[in-house]
Amino acid sequence: MPRTRPTYDVEKHLPLKPLVFQILLGLADGERHGWSLVRDVQQRGGFGRLMPGNFYRTLRSVVDAGFIEESASRPAAAEDDDRRRYFRLTPLGEQVAMAEARRLEAAVLEARARKLLAKRG
Amino acid sequence: MNGGLRRRLYSLLLLAFPRSVRREYGREMTELFESQLEDARQAGTSRFQVWSMAITDALRHGGAQRAEPIRSVLVAAGRSVRRWRWWMRAFFHDVRYTLRVVARRPAVTLLAILTLALGIGANTAIFSAVNAVLLRPLPYPKPDRVMMLFEKRPAEGAFDNPASPADALDWIAMNTTFDTMAAMTPAPVDLTGSGDPVRVSAGAVTPRFFDVFGTQPLFGRTFQSDDAVPGKNRVVVLGHSIWRERFGGNSSIVGQTVSLSGVPHVVIGVLPETFDFPDDTLRLWVPLSFTTATPTRTLHYLNMYGRLKPGVTLDQARADMDRVGAQLLQQYPDANRGHGVHLNSMTAQLKGPIRSPLLLLVGAVAFVLLIACVNVSNLMLSQAAARRREMAVRAAVGAGRARLAGQMLTESIVLGLLGGAAGLLVARWAIAALRNVAPVDTPLVGLQHFTLEPRVLVFTVVLSLAASVLFGAMPAWYLARQNLNDTLKDAGRSPASVRRRVRVALVVSEIALASLLLIAAGLTIRSFQSLLNTEAGFERDHVLTFAITLPASRYRTPEAQVAVFRSIESRLQTLPGVRAVAATSHLPLAGNDSRRGVGIEGREPTPDTPTRAHVRAITNEYLNVMGIRLKQGRPFGPADTDDGSKVIIVNDTMARRYWPGTSPIGKRLQLGGETEWREVVGVANDVRFWGLDRPVNPEMYLPLGQYPTSFATFALRTDTAPSSLTAAAREQIHAVDPDLPVADVQSMSDVAADSISSRRAGMLLLTVFGGLALILAVAGIYGVMAHLVALRSSEIGIRMTLGAQPSSIMGLVLREGLAQALAGLAIGMAGGVLVMRTFRAMLFEVNPADPVTIAAVTVLLIAAATLACILPARRAMRVDPVEALRS
Repeated sequence: MPRTRPTYDVEKHLPLKPLVFQILLGLADGERHGWSLVRDVQQRGGFGRLMPGNFYRTLRSVVDAGFIEESASRPAAAEDDDRRRYFRLTPLGEQVAMAEARRLEAAVLEARARKLLAKRG
Repeated sequence: MNGGLRRRLYSLLLLAFPRSVRREYGREMTELFESQLEDARQAGTSRFQVWSMAITDALRHGGAQRAEPIRSVLVAAGRSVRRWRWWMRAFFHDVRYTLRVVARRPAVTLLAILTLALGIGANTAIFSAVNAVLLRPLPYPKPDRVMMLFEKRPAEGAFDNPASPADALDWIAMNTTFDTMAAMTPAPVDLTGSGDPVRVSAGAVTPRFFDVFGTQPLFGRTFQSDDAVPGKNRVVVLGHSIWRERFGGNSSIVGQTVSLSGVPHVVIGVLPETFDFPDDTLRLWVPLSFTTATPTRTLHYLNMYGRLKPGVTLDQARADMDRVGAQLLQQYPDANRGHGVHLNSMTAQLKGPIRSPLLLLVGAVAFVLLIACVNVSNLMLSQAAARRREMAVRAAVGAGRARLAGQMLTESIVLGLLGGAAGLLVARWAIAALRNVAPVDTPLVGLQHFTLEPRVLVFTVVLSLAASVLFGAMPAWYLARQNLNDTLKDAGRSPASVRRRVRVALVVSEIALASLLLIAAGLTIRSFQSLLNTEAGFERDHVLTFAITLPASRYRTPEAQVAVFRSIESRLQTLPGVRAVAATSHLPLAGNDSRRGVGIEGREPTPDTPTRAHVRAITNEYLNVMGIRLKQGRPFGPADTDDGSKVIIVNDTMARRYWPGTSPIGKRLQLGGETEWREVVGVANDVRFWGLDRPVNPEMYLPLGQYPTSFATFALRTDTAPSSLTAAAREQIHAVDPDLPVADVQSMSDVAADSISSRRAGMLLLTVFGGLALILAVAGIYGVMAHLVALRSSEIGIRMTLGAQPSSIMGLVLREGLAQALAGLAIGMAGGVLVMRTFRAMLFEVNPADPVTIAAVTVLLIAAATLACILPARRAMRVDPVEALRS
């Protein structure tokens, strides 16, 4: 029996704040703990210095919005560290992230068409 | 900076975040911050910059998260505001509509507002009085703990006697249920030195008096136990008002010396403005000290106050004081024969006597408001009739019934609130007027709160809204329940019969309320009349009175006291316009008193029939000046001095009680504690000494020369208005002694008036409210009759076409109006008599079913009702039959 994916009204959440999108992006390939997530976002750059208050407040709001959830599963005890909290995308979060990506893609295509971006070779 | 310190500093910053965030993410946040610092170090940038960013970050995001709960409340509030907005929009639409309606009919609106203003204003004023003197707790900490104690003599039916000094000290020492207990007696003192000499009333109190009331001084201190020791007792505590008026509100007064009756006293403290004692004539306070080693047990003049220990009930305290009383009775069987201790909470003692008169007034103003509401309701009903079509049209274009009723209710509320606002103006004026008739013969606490204070304003708003619903309900119901289709089809003809019954019922109830009030007013007027006509035993017209107290420092001997009173008397005698002058130690109706046990020759007192009499020292002309008739024997003469044989005049009551069946002339008696015999030489008519409505007790008059006092009230019988002689009399007294203050200058008729001022206040107010009710009821009858005549104009036209005479038409209208008036009258009379039966205590020698009152109210109401019907009746007579039939 094919699993029917629930559909959400994702449009009302768009556009996402850049940091929110980056968090969703960071979790796109699997669950991570907060610390690894923040390093990932920081590495992709674009935020200058990412300060703890700002990051964790945003993280909380993303949890509250239901885009991500705390994961119950944990890595083996040896590599675990009890201050680590693990997060993963919810189905809503995944759809919202996809919708935002499409929106950004459309924007980029449009920018290209209007010669705002040089065509890459 | 090492890692530990860094982490500690950062954890301080984390305090900006809510605790839940710190718990969940605190460690990760610290870790992230440290990595930022590390990055900066590696990049060679300033770590100071990272720190300042961290501070901004913490304040901004931490603060935002802390504000989250408030924000969510605001969001929820916003949601409900949106929901309410619809209702409010409807309401404001109705208000705007109402204002248009109101503006279209300014006369009707003004009439309604005025009517409501009278009703609401009167209620606000009376509630303000009730609030000030009944509802507010006494202005002391834990006021229900404050008690008043009295000596009781059940055999004589007396439960509020003052205590004797020896008993008072024993009560204080022997009780186990009071935290503190204290005695007080008013003592007039002459304040000299700073400005004109004035006589003021001081409260002489035992040291812990102010502890009973929980009063802290504004400056300095109150009394301590050694202040009562004779010799150390030259100290005074100033009341707030005299401190401000006489000493300029200067705090440096503490420690200075003032002269009280010629004796220097050191000011040790000033009381706060908030100290409110029932006897507001007491303006300063001195220690009460007993100069004799063994205080007397036979003179009773101390008012006793106490504060109960925490947890002690009134009943426990009563049992305790009963025990004390019984023990004292055992120890002093002679002095305390038949005596006990009675106690009551100060609240009950003070508020008890005024509760019932005030409640009667509350009822009276409530009736006035009810009548006002009926009138406005009637007014709106006639408007509603005219607006049936308008309402029907609005309904036809989609307004629901609830919406229409809501519109009517909104109109009522707008009218009610406007009436309430105007009522506040009425109340302000009424309160000023009421303050002038506030009784002076009843102790009241809290009169300074007799204003439009916030609690009163809330009452007014609530009352206005309640009145709106009351008078708006009928028209709203009437409009909402009508059949809209019929109305539209009928194009304006109204089902008069239904509304007529309703309106007639309204008028009848209105007249019933008014006549009930008039009965109450009439009965109090009659009571007051019979009070004024009471044989007082003296002639109060053309008598000027004033009091003089001799300072003990300058008039030490009884001879000196008698001499100065005599020389004042003879000087006053020379004044033109003065017919006769006399002095007495105790003036009737003035409030002070003195009583002694007497031994009557040949009559042994028994415990159940003690022989006591009230003592008055008088000069020879006293009975003559006061117009007190001598029934038997002779008045005092020049021979009745200290050297002559001791003589006495008794009043009629004393003669009948102690020498029943025989003439007392020539009989002898001894004053308690004396061995000398005094011979009765005269019997004087009874004088209503204690109040025009109070019974007479045994009284005896002694010549001042044989019974000297240091205080006297002079009475001058004058040819002209008594007040015209005040200045001249003062001059003569100051010619004798420039430092003698003259106090309580009053005509005897004013003294008498003051003694019945609470009855006068009750009578005046009930009369005003009764009059108001009558006017409103007459307006109501007029309105309804005018409306009925207008409705029946076609019927009247037919009658006239068929040959009815104008006079019979007039009779028709008058009959109808008077029938309503009589129905209301009958109901109201019965109610009035019943109500006044429960308030019988307010009546004096008048039966609640007094025929004169009933007849007067009947005549008054019928005359008023006829007047109200005549205008509509004349209009009915002038109906043009042709015109009436055509329309």
